Amino acid sequence: MAARGHVQDPNDRRLRPIYDYLDNGNNKMAIQQADKLLKKHKDLHCAKVLKAIGLQRTGKQDEAFSLAQEVATLEPTDDNSLQALTILYREMHHPELVTKLYEAAVKKVPLSEEYHSHLFMAYARVGEYKKMQQAGMALYKIVPKNPYYFWSVMSLVMQAISAQDEKLAQTMFLPLAERMVEKMVKEEKIEAEAEVQLYFMILERLGKCVEALDVVRGPLGEKLTSELRSRENKCMMMYQRLQLWPECNALSYKLLLKNPDDWQFYLSYFDSLFHLMDKSWSQPEEGEHCVEGPVQTTVAEAVKFVVDRMEEQDKKESRPLRGPYLACLELIHRLRQRGCPDEKELGDPLELMVQFFGKFGDKPCCITDLKIYLHLLPPEQRSQFKNRLGELVPLGEAGEDGFGFPGDTKALQRHLCVCQLSRALGLQHALDTEGKLRLITELKAHYHHGLQFGKSCLKTELQFSDMYCLMAAHVYIDLWTETGDENMLWQCLGMLEEGLSFSPSNAQFKLLLLLLFCRLGAFQPVVDLYSSLDAKHVQHDTIGYLLTRYAGSLGQFAAASQSCNFSLRFFHSNQKDTSEYIIQAYKYGAFEKIPEFIAFRTRLNQSLHFAQVRTERMLLDLYTEADVTLSLEESVKAMGVCPEEDDIPWDNMRDNRDLTVLVSWDPKDRELTEEHRRLSLEEESVWLKVRALTLRLLASLALLGHAPSPWNSDKTNENGISAKSSTLQTLLSQLDQTLETAAQITEKHTQYPFLGPPSSRLASALSSGSCHCQASALQLSLTLRELETTGLEMLSRCKGEVLEMKDGRLKTQPSLLETLVFFVETVCVVLWVASYSANVLRPLKSSLQKKKKKKKDSSTAMPVVMCGFQEWTGSLHGVVTQALDHVKGQEASLTALKLAALTLEEGYSQTQEECGFTRAAMDKVQTSYLGSLQEMGDLLRKRADSLKSLKI
Amino acid sequence: MTTLRAFTCDDLFKFNNINLDPLTETYGIPFYLQYLAHWPEFFIVAEAPGGELMGYIMGKAEGSVAREEWHGHVTALSVAPEFRRLGLAAKLMEMLEEISERKGGFFVDLFVRVSNQVAVNMYKQLGYSVYRTVIEYYSASNGEPDEDAYDMRKALSSDTEKKSIVPIPHPVRPEDIE
Repeated sequence: MAARGHVQDPNDRRLRPIYDYLDNGNNKMAIQQADKLLKKHKDLHCAKVLKAIGLQRTGKQDEAFSLAQEVATLEPTDDNSLQALTILYREMHHPELVTKLYEAAVKKVPLSEEYHSHLFMAYARVGEYKKMQQAGMALYKIVPKNPYYFWSVMSLVMQAISAQDEKLAQTMFLPLAERMVEKMVKEEKIEAEAEVQLYFMILERLGKCVEALDVVRGPLGEKLTSELRSRENKCMMMYQRLQLWPECNALSYKLLLKNPDDWQFYLSYFDSLFHLMDKSWSQPEEGEHCVEGPVQTTVAEAVKFVVDRMEEQDKKESRPLRGPYLACLELIHRLRQRGCPDEKELGDPLELMVQFFGKFGDKPCCITDLKIYLHLLPPEQRSQFKNRLGELVPLGEAGEDGFGFPGDTKALQRHLCVCQLSRALGLQHALDTEGKLRLITELKAHYHHGLQFGKSCLKTELQFSDMYCLMAAHVYIDLWTETGDENMLWQCLGMLEEGLSFSPSNAQFKLLLLLLFCRLGAFQPVVDLYSSLDAKHVQHDTIGYLLTRYAGSLGQFAAASQSCNFSLRFFHSNQKDTSEYIIQAYKYGAFEKIPEFIAFRTRLNQSLHFAQVRTERMLLDLYTEADVTLSLEESVKAMGVCPEEDDIPWDNMRDNRDLTVLVSWDPKDRELTEEHRRLSLEEESVWLKVRALTLRLLASLALLGHAPSPWNSDKTNENGISAKSSTLQTLLSQLDQTLETAAQITEKHTQYPFLGPPSSRLASALSSGSCHCQASALQLSLTLRELETTGLEMLSRCKGEVLEMKDGRLKTQPSLLETLVFFVETVCVVLWVASYSANVLRPLKSSLQKKKKKKKDSSTAMPVVMCGFQEWTGSLHGVVTQALDHVKGQEASLTALKLAALTLEEGYSQTQEECGFTRAAMDKVQTSYLGSLQEMGDLLRKRADSLKSLKI
Repeated sequence: MTTLRAFTCDDLFKFNNINLDPLTETYGIPFYLQYLAHWPEFFIVAEAPGGELMGYIMGKAEGSVAREEWHGHVTALSVAPEFRRLGLAAKLMEMLEEISERKGGFFVDLFVRVSNQVAVNMYKQLGYSVYRTVIEYYSASNGEPDEDAYDMRKALSSDTEKKSIVPIPHPVRPEDIE
């Protein structure tokens, strides 16, 4: 017995093979092995759960679930079963069941640290913050470890973050969290950096910035060591929130002295400086200096600071930093914004930029750096600037074609940068067609010349001269869009294909080719281009639009479906994946990351692209499958589309598309703006709405079409039908509204930059008439449905005895006759409309039949509209027949009514003589009713005959 | 001129210019979240003034302290083509080394494709040396065969005798590395 601890639990040994089979994906064997084991050991619950996992993984969800429930109801407390059930429930997407499991387990084993901690994590997975808070505390009471206590605190913070009512967050959850931490601080029990981080987070969310600062600066702050500059960053954040501009300024200054290349601190340095100037802040003569050191309050000091930093770099022998030089341009920009004349002290922007080019012109990022400050140059200096830069580019002797070429890659990069800058300055756009063609020749020559420098480049490397090729392509596109000369486009494609042959992994070449092929309507080459980009996971959300925008609209349904699937797979895994890492963040005390992960999950769930691929995928399935392999109704049911449900977050849609993934050096006025982004999102959302409504309408139609016929159904079904058609009605009016909005949007004719977002399909869908045709067709379904039901309703109102004897009295209901007349009149109108429809449809059908004969393709189905018409006339026939039956019945019962049998009560007021007259009057009424009925019956019969002529 | 800051989830939506590079792997979301949850300080991004992401480094701390194998590991380091030749990768490596120093690591290590000469040379310049070759560490993709990796190391100040970087002469298989 002494060695018991070392002996393996025999059950572990028995279960091992099943685990192995499951791990290897051999689910069948796992199930068999479990069955074998269960024959011998009926009570080995874990074997059941493992079998259930096998069943779940072979698609037998229902069986798996009931097996799992068998075990779960026993409230197991053995580790194996609990863990296996946890895995199973997660795979079944039922994480909430895991909480039930461990709630039961901790009840039975109340002192188990392990089960309590599993319970906490199970709550975390489903975001039950309140219960997490309690579970954390329960855990801490059993085992007083700090992390458990702080899990509970963090759960309070999460309650605050998720609270609908911000007041509740500020007055209850956060203060409580604060007090819980303070208690630990007072008792000197704070141990870990994560705990200080959390304390800071709470204070920050409470807006207690002063207290937060004290924590960071105080002894607790000493624990903040993992992240570089953690304390400084947090202080800076608080200074900015508290508008402590002296401290902000002094700290930025200090950090810039340490690292004069850290851009964020130039920004905070300038911001704070101008705030201080605006407040005419001055150093207090006496008393305490600013805790962060010296404060700078004048432009002169700032100018000197920046100039000193530049001089420092000038003296360096190698690798000067770009920061100080760009800070100088930034300062000029800011001074100019403020209308401050001191910018002259820093020098002429043109000279400064030339100087910058001199130092950094051979770096590929030179264009990105200078582009931001080109607006500092007045338009008349642009050409001069370009020429000055040109002087700094060493090129060889010009050849026959008049072009001189760089002798090495550094000179090449400089020359390229000048080209990029002149494009950004608008100088390329200003050229006429001839000028642009000459520019292309020059760029091509440089491209080809530059290839010699990259002869030894690997396939995974870019060629040094690639960007010339890309720019030539951009100029071709300029020419194509300006002149409409398609030849430019063909040459552009050729240029890019050539570029790709020398530089097979250049993503920009691929992206632009992809875009151009799409614009040309040729989707097939796009598939390979996109797949060679190797875009994966989150990239489906950011650049997947390049594929899904065009695949379906260009008629490549299989590719469209596949690209939607790629994206959908990514989005569907998001929910499960993120939950796991929220739990990990608790485990590792990365509390700051928890709200971040949750926000990330939300951002993906609310993605425009997600909603688009979800909707498009289902529409694609309907278009390609419904009424081909499955009926429309079956397809709709299989997809689980519910017409009443709208799962698209219209008000919180996130546009995660990367709209600047294609490199552009276009001048500012041609660049993508925030307004473009807004309009593109608006347009895409409206288009999505049209599509989503179409999908729901089709679902609604499918469910309506196969409902039992209303005239032989009971009351509840009638209600069901009217509910369904009211959904249809609501959706149709939404579609109408959306189409109105759509028309307004397309009237704007928004043009996006060529390299920016593609226009949505909205405009072409509207102008093709497809939107309105579909809407009318769907409206027709509703009208038909209405026709049928109101017709029947009218008829049902006609029902009842026009004349009857009751309790020895005669009762008349002349209104029934009137209603019947209305019904008959209406039948006439409807039939005329039907006959009109038949006339419209008849030639259509015969032309179709001719075609059919030619093709000898008997499988061609009649278009829906024909079938629909036949169905409609069929149901009309039904209604009229019913009406005829009704009239006949009325006639019969009227005839059968023996008024003579009526004993008119004599003696009240009438004499026998008088009674005789009454009888005569009654007879007249009866005869008249009968006459009316006969006439209406005749008319209806004739009309019913005319129905036969409606055959098409 | 660079803003260096902690990498956040939102950066995943903006890193295409870096990740469309053929040698930069785009991992599944769980992979990034795991690093953000466990070693957030080892995940740093560089941002240009225009807001473009320039490059990032992702790493972790692992290994047994008792066996003097506690170390910083570089999982991914990538710089967008237009921000190369600025010494940014070196700066990011320096930061990761500093964090590893603070955590008392004995060395920093990384794996690199043997064919990626540019990277191998850069790491050598930064003081890294090949500790061992790992056979077929990179699995085949896009029709390319499996590829070997160099396991490169640089000793930190805790490893006073630089024991951790003494090269192992024979190549090892991926399953043999810890």
